[in-house]
Amino acid sequence: MKIPPFKEINPPDKFGYWTNKKTGEKFGGQYISSLLVPNLKRVEDGFFKAMKDKKFLKELEEDLNTFIGVQTPIHFSKTLTELAGGEKKIGKIYLKRTDLHTNHSHKPISAYACCKLAKYLGFKKILTETGAFQNGRAVASACASLGLKLDIYVGANDAKKLAINKDISALHGARIIEVHDSTKSLLPAMAAALRAFQSEPDSMYVVGSVAGPMPYPLMVRTFASVIGRITKKQFKNLVGKDPSTLFAVCGGGSNFSAIAYPYYKSKKPDLYAVESAGDGIKTGRHGSTIGGGGKMGILLGMQSKVLLNGENVAESFTAASGLDFSSIGPEVAYMHSIGRVKFLTTTDLQAKKTFMMMARKHGLICAIEACYVIFAAIKEIRKRKNPRENHLIHLCGSGEPNVAQMMDFMKKQK
Amino acid sequence: MWIWRAKRCSNDGLHEKTKMSELNKLFKERKKNKKSSFIGFVTSGDPNYKSSKEIMKEMTKYCQVIEAGVSFNTSTSDSPIIMEANDRAIKSGMNMSKTFKLINEVKKETKTDTPFVLMTYLNPIIVYGIKKFIRSCQKTGIAGVIIVDASLNSPEEKFIINGLTKKNIGYIKIISPTNSEKFIQSSIKNCKNSWIYITSYYGLTGSKNVNIQNVRKLVKIVRKYSKDIPIGVGFGIKTSKQIKDVSKYADATIVGSAIVNKIKEGTENGKYGRNLATFIGSYLKKLTK
Repeated sequence: MKIPPFKEINPPDKFGYWTNKKTGEKFGGQYISSLLVPNLKRVEDGFFKAMKDKKFLKELEEDLNTFIGVQTPIHFSKTLTELAGGEKKIGKIYLKRTDLHTNHSHKPISAYACCKLAKYLGFKKILTETGAFQNGRAVASACASLGLKLDIYVGANDAKKLAINKDISALHGARIIEVHDSTKSLLPAMAAALRAFQSEPDSMYVVGSVAGPMPYPLMVRTFASVIGRITKKQFKNLVGKDPSTLFAVCGGGSNFSAIAYPYYKSKKPDLYAVESAGDGIKTGRHGSTIGGGGKMGILLGMQSKVLLNGENVAESFTAASGLDFSSIGPEVAYMHSIGRVKFLTTTDLQAKKTFMMMARKHGLICAIEACYVIFAAIKEIRKRKNPRENHLIHLCGSGEPNVAQMMDFMKKQK
Repeated sequence: MWIWRAKRCSNDGLHEKTKMSELNKLFKERKKNKKSSFIGFVTSGDPNYKSSKEIMKEMTKYCQVIEAGVSFNTSTSDSPIIMEANDRAIKSGMNMSKTFKLINEVKKETKTDTPFVLMTYLNPIIVYGIKKFIRSCQKTGIAGVIIVDASLNSPEEKFIINGLTKKNIGYIKIISPTNSEKFIQSSIKNCKNSWIYITSYYGLTGSKNVNIQNVRKLVKIVRKYSKDIPIGVGFGIKTSKQIKDVSKYADATIVGSAIVNKIKEGTENGKYGRNLATFIGSYLKKLTK
């Protein structure tokens, strides 16, 4: 299938804000030191130029089709349909198999596209940040294939964890730099990558999510929306209409916007974003920006909802590294503020149990992140009790990097 | 009643016209005496409240302006040296209101008129409350404010500049060697009652040595658009020779990372409180000689 071309249906204003006209809240913007202004301008101008360059877009499409493998199937899940109550009660549940991409998650699309853009603009080196090396691995693979150097910034605590994705990033030739600031996790790693971007004008920063200063939230969702563009067409071909509901997990929001973007302006499907409630929202140990009552704040160059600890950004807690982020991309926060997206939460324990269920009953090793969305979706679908509905869940990644963690869980369960 | 109101208005108008901001006054006087100013930066509350207070008190002896950083854990523009200072300050319980309290106490206890400038990020101000922040600046007698991540197009910057200007408090913008002339021109416009901050190189605070070529180039551009705005130069200034060199071109030199590094060195040798302040004082004495 040809990848449906990108259409801008939800543009920010010229300063990079999505504004809720009822409340006056502004999301996005470019909150950076003046030293970063020229670098971001170069990326922003280059991005808009590339999006109009037919040759660049054609090459990118070919690479996404044949190198990343973006034409993944939509699978009708009898198991989940039965689990939720059966076709006669709840309709049908489908899974979008994004786990089948090269590097097994949604990240490789925007990672590859951003690196391709960097090469197109003449940058020789990439800077990025990572938590569990999902983004690190995706960017490392892209850089290796495009002949770019790469520095990956990772929080010192995250770097200590044994991770297959970390080893794969190293095998691809990435230089891994540990960050010892503050909480030694993803947030300070991202701040460190932004600071490095300030010092290295010949390098381009690649963000792992739809977060950061403009143009990053716009650029990442534009590239990542390939998933949604394909899904929308595919689902119509398969079922004859758009889905009734769409469920995707939401840490920073790249996963959610990747699949939901083409539906932002239409009435259907009902959009659900699922956050990690960690040990439970009430315990305070969670990664749920919206569900945990995040406030408006300014961090990492953007204005959005943030979990705060006094005047500082709070640490998030979750078993899923991909959801370990104390904020949320500005466009997703805006879509929530205007009521287009409903937010749900799943605890770590519920997600782990769902992982085991998917492994045992469905024959799929899903990324732990995807298990948060599967659990919340089934709960919500049961409540809707409508046999005429078709539900779509974004199975955003493979669980191979979670194997060691889940073996521990399985042993403790016995 | 009408007469009273009219009289009050005219008095206020007169007051606004004749009152010069604390920073403008300082730079004007120093310029008249052909002296450049020395601005010292420290993170407020580093390594803790008590020691930081002693350090700032000591600094009033050597600095014409003290630039106090408000710690923020997700800073996007500071060198690792300043980030560590932020961590030390946050760990010791520092925040915006304690920063105001600290500066207030330093001012009272030293009885000097050394102006204080705050350097911060937007998030701590938003959480503290923009209006409350401006009120606290006025109440504490803050002479100027630098907000690292307030971009020229952000509504917050416009709001803060208006608020501070009404209270005659300075607003300082930073420019760097890679900024376009258009950007520099807009930054000069947004600088109110204060100086424009030139970074001598492209990168992070304290990561390289001062680049005089860049300074000369930037001073020339600034002077194209403003004949009289005071110019402060920072980034990479570590020695008294460098201070003297930069002073040839600028109204003020700003030293940050070098002082913060000394604080780290002091604490690593077990120095705190008055002891640490004396250690920093002797360093500043040599530096400003």
